[in-house]
Amino acid sequence: MTRSRRALSLAGAAILTLGLAACGEGERDNSGGGEGGSASGSWTLGTTETVTAMDPAGSYDIGSWNMQYSLFEQLMAIPAGESEPVGDAAESCEYDDPQTITCTLREGLTFSNGNELTSSDVRFSLERNLQIADPNGSAVLLGAIKDPDRDALADGAVETPDDQTVVFNLNQPDLTFLKILSSATASIVDEETFPADSLLEDEQVVGSGPFMLSEYSASKQAVLEANPEYDGERAPASETVFVQFFNDAAPLRNAIASSQLDVAWRTLSPTDLTSLEDAGDVEVLRGEGSEFRYWVWQLGTDVGGDKAVRQAVAQVIDREAIAQNAYDGTVEPSYSIVPPGFGGQKDSFAEAYGEGPDVEAARQTLREAGVKTPVRLTLGYTPTHYGPNTVDEARELAGQLEDSGLFEVSTEDAEWEEYQTLYKQNAYDLFVLGWYPDFLDADNYLSPFLRDGGFYQNNYSSQEVNSLLDEELGETDEATREEQIGELQDIVAEDVPLIPSWNGQNVAVAVPEMEGVEGSLDPTYIFRLWEISKG
Amino acid sequence: MASAAAGSLPRYVLIRVLLVVPMMWVLLTIVFLLLRVAPGDPVTAAVGDKLSPEALESRRAALGLDRPLVVQYLEYLGRVAQLDFGRTISDNRPVLEIIKNQGGATLTLTLGAFLFALLIALPLGRLAGRHRDTALDAVIRIFGVVSYAAPIFWVGILLVLFVITFVPSWPTFGIASAETEFYVPDRTGIILVDAILANDSASVVDVLQHHVLPCFTLGLLLSGVIIRLVRVNVIQSLKDDYVEAARARGIPERRVVRKHAFRNALVPVITVIGLQFALTLSGAILTERTFNWPGLGNELVAYVTARDYVAVQGLVTFFAVAVVVVSVAVDVLNALVDPRVRY
Repeated sequence: MTRSRRALSLAGAAILTLGLAACGEGERDNSGGGEGGSASGSWTLGTTETVTAMDPAGSYDIGSWNMQYSLFEQLMAIPAGESEPVGDAAESCEYDDPQTITCTLREGLTFSNGNELTSSDVRFSLERNLQIADPNGSAVLLGAIKDPDRDALADGAVETPDDQTVVFNLNQPDLTFLKILSSATASIVDEETFPADSLLEDEQVVGSGPFMLSEYSASKQAVLEANPEYDGERAPASETVFVQFFNDAAPLRNAIASSQLDVAWRTLSPTDLTSLEDAGDVEVLRGEGSEFRYWVWQLGTDVGGDKAVRQAVAQVIDREAIAQNAYDGTVEPSYSIVPPGFGGQKDSFAEAYGEGPDVEAARQTLREAGVKTPVRLTLGYTPTHYGPNTVDEARELAGQLEDSGLFEVSTEDAEWEEYQTLYKQNAYDLFVLGWYPDFLDADNYLSPFLRDGGFYQNNYSSQEVNSLLDEELGETDEATREEQIGELQDIVAEDVPLIPSWNGQNVAVAVPEMEGVEGSLDPTYIFRLWEISKG
Repeated sequence: MASAAAGSLPRYVLIRVLLVVPMMWVLLTIVFLLLRVAPGDPVTAAVGDKLSPEALESRRAALGLDRPLVVQYLEYLGRVAQLDFGRTISDNRPVLEIIKNQGGATLTLTLGAFLFALLIALPLGRLAGRHRDTALDAVIRIFGVVSYAAPIFWVGILLVLFVITFVPSWPTFGIASAETEFYVPDRTGIILVDAILANDSASVVDVLQHHVLPCFTLGLLLSGVIIRLVRVNVIQSLKDDYVEAARARGIPERRVVRKHAFRNALVPVITVIGLQFALTLSGAILTERTFNWPGLGNELVAYVTARDYVAVQGLVTFFAVAVVVVSVAVDVLNALVDPRVRY
């Protein structure tokens, strides 16, 4: 046999071996059998979400927070499908008054390294979060216990009278703080492991949550194994969870379509979801979401500063057409700044302008205000940050406005980094933005948007709104607070500093053997890995 | 004669190595300037929606972006000289660690692609050269042009769709299954080598399976160039006197082609493979994206999207250095093989 023939034979044999191995698919034993209580088996999650940091002081994004919910305990946690927090590391946390919260820790808490978890660790976790003030972190959520003059815990803001008790003295009445304590920013870290003034390397994080981080390779894979020390309510249903990170939705879609993954969660495009649903090999599971997409008026421009123009656009917009034509019906039209499901939510825009478009009403609004038509309007959007369907949404809205005959629209786009600067510099009259809640409270859709121009600096300012925001934050009577939240939504519908567009769903795709996925799809966007198993 | 000394191999190698310095300087300068003239501000891009204007300013100052451009430039050159590429803005990772952790995946992808390219191109190029101007030649030439011209991500997606339809158990993403990545201890940063060192045949097979589609896709791109080159050289060699002499000695045509014409036609391929390295790296970026390959190209795209200027600067610099090093190595190899190549 000649050398080249030998080489060809070897190559052929190698290919044959690989092929046979593929057909046989020699799976490893994934029956588990670890030490983590009754947990057994493993499953694999694929996601396009990225992890900025495993350390709770260094991240403020869904990808990182979801890892932290599995690795750490918080004082409180929000059970799947509910909106009010219940005890996690704490047996209970109660408001003594609108500015004081007392929490009592469960007995016998330990971190996965065996160290005891006490009230001192709770204080340390919050203090270092504020002190590090990492630009990628979420220390901004802890404003109620922050020293106003420096990045530090305010004197006396967190007291620890004994190992089991933590008392929070807030700098203003704030009924949302309990929900902030249930978010990943308040994850409890081990003061003997985590440095006080810097982030801990991702691979070294230690928590007391249902899982331990067994392996982590940034942007590739994280492996979570059941924490044998954990004895709380969130006991893991599986011994091992593999999390595979994808930089792009296309390979994620193909991987779940061929069942190379067990679950794909965030973020597949509406087109991918439809095609997977049609193919029928995997299950597309939809839950209620709290993602909010909205169009913001820049009141610093001549057009955006004219209330009649803002109202007229609110009368012309056809949200149902946007949902159908730009998102294949995978989103729900939104008629309020606060999504459905929150206390005090009301569809103020539908009440003020109707659910469907009303061009005649818009014409009359403009006529009565003496606005000459067609109004020239610059509409801004960013083409990739929120996914490619944003382009379709912008085109759809522009088309609707043009078709009304009342507006002449020019659309302009910019990539996210430029976009953020441009919309603050009055480059657009109307521009699109998206929002995920930091915690489940209506205020998280109000204060960041409405107080003194909001985080997007659109020059909207109302003393009445600011006062109402202060009132609802400290209001202990639920009915009164809901009334105040409803009033705020009515003011928004009247002043139109922004126009709600749609609310998203929380969607996952899973192979049929998976259990517990659908139950975790709720507006918190907490993907409860501990509740999921492969049947 | 002086020219004899001037044309010596050591002198050639020395000059070629010395030329790396200005070449690197130009490359680093271009990388630095391109990122500075790009629109938008990197800090705003990475963390802008979360911070106040004051906090953004302080972050810019911390990164040295408020200093004069010349100072930034000199500092950048100084740091690169010490192999310090800084930490990423968006996720605070040392760029050198990214290169160490993910460089291995890009390396095996590139080598695998070259292997596939040679496996495809050498026999096809030989066939086309031997059967010049026949229908077979035309088909192979068209294949060469198409494989070179077709967008790599398009080819990749088609292959993935084909595989998940007809061989659904064949892996279409990543460098290994989740279990293999977890169970194989990381010793070298190259999972194939680690699996071999661990003496874990199931993992070796798993890793090789994961390599097939991405390496084949990238290899197709390279094979287009090599097919045409081998074909032309085989045709040229078949006209040479020594081939005629072989034929005159009664050696069968197949043996003439294989033993005489084809072997000589391979010499220029070595040079071209080196020159194709840059093309392979750019192709690797798209391939990695398509197959969610955990290499540097995939990271680069993610950081470009996040407008993480420190990460992009570091990774592009690394790619540039890799291309320069390979091109010097190829030049030196070429000079060793071919005595005519001298300054």
